[in-house]
Amino acid sequence: MKLSWRIWLLIGVLMCSALLIAPSFETGAVIKSVEKNSTAYESGLRADFVIKSINGEAVTNIQDYQNIINSIFPTENKTRLTITTKDSEFILFTDQAPLIIVANVPKTKIKTGLDLSGGARAMVKAENKSLSSQELNDLITITSNRLNEFGIADVSVKSVSDLSGNNFMLIEVAGATPTDLTELVSKQGKFEAKIGNETVFIGGQEDITYVARTGEQSGIYSCGAATEGKACSFRFSITLSEKAAKNHANITNNLGIDPENPQYLSEKLDLYLDDQLTDSLYIGKDLKGSSTTQISISGSGVGSTEQEAYTVAEANMKKLQTILITGSLPYKLEIVKIDTISPVLGKEFIKNIIILALVVFALISISLFIKYRKIKITLAVILTMFSEAMITLAIAALIKWNLDAPSIAGIIAGMGTGVNDQIVILDEAISEEQVSLKERIKNAFFIILGAFFTIIAAMLPLFWAGAGMLKGFALTTIIGVCVGILITRPAFSEIVKKILKD
Amino acid sequence: MTEETKKIFKVSLGKFYDNNYKKILLIPLLLSLISLVYIGYFYSQNNDFMLKDSSLTGGTTITLIGEINLQNLKSPLISQFPDITFREITDLKTGKPISVILETSAEQEEVKTSIEKILGYNLTTENSSVEFTGPSLSESFYKQLMVALLISFILMSLVVFILFRTFIPGIAVIFAAFSDLIMPLALLNFLEIRISAAGIAAFLMLIGYSVDTDILLTTRALRGKAGNLNQRLFGAFKTGTFMTLTALIAVLPAFFIVTNLPDSFRQIFLILAMGLFADLINTWITNMSIIKWYCDKKGIE
Repeated sequence: MKLSWRIWLLIGVLMCSALLIAPSFETGAVIKSVEKNSTAYESGLRADFVIKSINGEAVTNIQDYQNIINSIFPTENKTRLTITTKDSEFILFTDQAPLIIVANVPKTKIKTGLDLSGGARAMVKAENKSLSSQELNDLITITSNRLNEFGIADVSVKSVSDLSGNNFMLIEVAGATPTDLTELVSKQGKFEAKIGNETVFIGGQEDITYVARTGEQSGIYSCGAATEGKACSFRFSITLSEKAAKNHANITNNLGIDPENPQYLSEKLDLYLDDQLTDSLYIGKDLKGSSTTQISISGSGVGSTEQEAYTVAEANMKKLQTILITGSLPYKLEIVKIDTISPVLGKEFIKNIIILALVVFALISISLFIKYRKIKITLAVILTMFSEAMITLAIAALIKWNLDAPSIAGIIAGMGTGVNDQIVILDEAISEEQVSLKERIKNAFFIILGAFFTIIAAMLPLFWAGAGMLKGFALTTIIGVCVGILITRPAFSEIVKKILKD
Repeated sequence: MTEETKKIFKVSLGKFYDNNYKKILLIPLLLSLISLVYIGYFYSQNNDFMLKDSSLTGGTTITLIGEINLQNLKSPLISQFPDITFREITDLKTGKPISVILETSAEQEEVKTSIEKILGYNLTTENSSVEFTGPSLSESFYKQLMVALLISFILMSLVVFILFRTFIPGIAVIFAAFSDLIMPLALLNFLEIRISAAGIAAFLMLIGYSVDTDILLTTRALRGKAGNLNQRLFGAFKTGTFMTLTALIAVLPAFFIVTNLPDSFRQIFLILAMGLFADLINTWITNMSIIKWYCDKKGIE
């Protein structure tokens, strides 16, 4: 059977689409990120490696990974951990779980957005101030640094603007959401160490050249009872710049000895975070007037149990370290939108969408068959619909578009207009007009083109309105109708010609 | 029915239509007028064209996953957040409750803390989703979507005029599209349904979606060569209603069968369905009558 080029084009595009979507049946847990300078990093583990087994136990998904890790850690002594990936083997000696973030191996190359895969999204703007694009870029750099230093993987920070010229910073975190996200992105992060009213040093690289985060110099050192529940204290050392050290020397020079605690100076070093006092440190008397560069910073965390207090203290330490490294922002921030979507809901959503698609396909098939009484025609329409959805998904995967709920709605709407167009072609083709079949299909295309341009015209404004939150809807609808008009519609009319000739 | 009676029926139907099409036009005109008046009344009462949900007014939406005892939550939360609403989601097959969706204009931390106190456990991403939109953002969001709606309508009108290049048929299509928007809006207002940002996107979609049958009708009537005008109109009617019916079949299951989908998602389909129903009236009564009138005046047969 000789097929026209239009049908070949459809077949070709479908095959490319299959490659682009590329379903994978690989099992394992893929590494999303490895914390820099951690044992895991030093052993050679990197992002995108696929973990197949740990200590000989097979890892087929993220659940396996977590079960195995939880069965080994926490542990008192350093243990040997053999991580086997697809291509190699890595050996770690460690007493804590590897500082890596893993995820299931994606089944396809289709990228799913927040609504489907779970995660968090925050839109942030400066309070009472409109940011210039330079300021916004600075904000994005600082925030990205903070999130990276904090160890949040799989995060995208970018600027978005809307129709009224407002600029926002949009942060999207895939998968599990850290509970501290709100604080991390909304805190101005102004850190000040003061003695009395005088500032000794502030957060950021100008005053602080190094912050210890691992080893002996950093960690929780004591836990005990507090007024309510338990409290744990942390400390870590930092290195001050020469300028900050001189400041320290000048200010402490004027201090006396504390009469009640003669080994300390009369004033304390007060640590403020966003203008709130977080801790007060005693200053040893031998530090008086010395331009010391080594300072130990401390703080605490409370909880109802010791375990909880420990976790809180650890988190507080990490936050403080992050802020000391990245410095503060010159203005206060306001979170205008924050969504955290559970991955559980995303799975439910995908399941329901598949059921919905099956129901719709079945109902449309039945109604088409009732109307045209031909299996071949019904099949042709349904297959065309299916092709359109598949090609749209492939294009979305190609441009790395994250499919969210509006995008899925757009695909369905695109399929709806597709069926409409096919009905127009069919009815023109079987109409009783006294003109050639070719002429009639040409008429059908006039109508289809008209509908095509009105859809594009109607959806276009959504690209910009509302900071692009509904962009997905417009994008997939437009991709869908473009695929229709360029690829599937011409092929469908050829198929109809063939069916009618038989 | 024999071929003969079918023919007689067709001829008498044609005659009836010839004599009465101008009178039938009154029905949709009246419906549009009622919708418009109701929307005006609604505006005077609520100071807005529609009821908006938290995505457009600002506020918090929390989805609690798992078998939640709704009764325990309700009264303490209502006393604290008077505007809170609840919706329970049940499993499609078993009918068992699987999640609860709460919506209020309050700040997320406040609502979260209260819920955590009642439930006795912390809300994490394992057991809940929390969406918060600040009032300033949602307000500008709403304004922009309205502007988008307007631009979308203008662009669509331009396309229609470029396609047909004649005034009356173009205006007829645009009027039909306008009625397709106001009828569902009036109905949504009447049913006191709160519209989300996605819902407004559905109105935009409606602008694009509903004119294809109008284009079909106008093209067949003005450009068609075979048969007389009534035959061509009837042919367009057969094709067009089937198009709208399949579109309805595609959008209705999201509302009636697979009810577990997110509300904003389902609302897109609800609004499309309402618009498609309105489109049946506005295309096959309003637009068809105007086109027939136009053809009669111009002597197109």
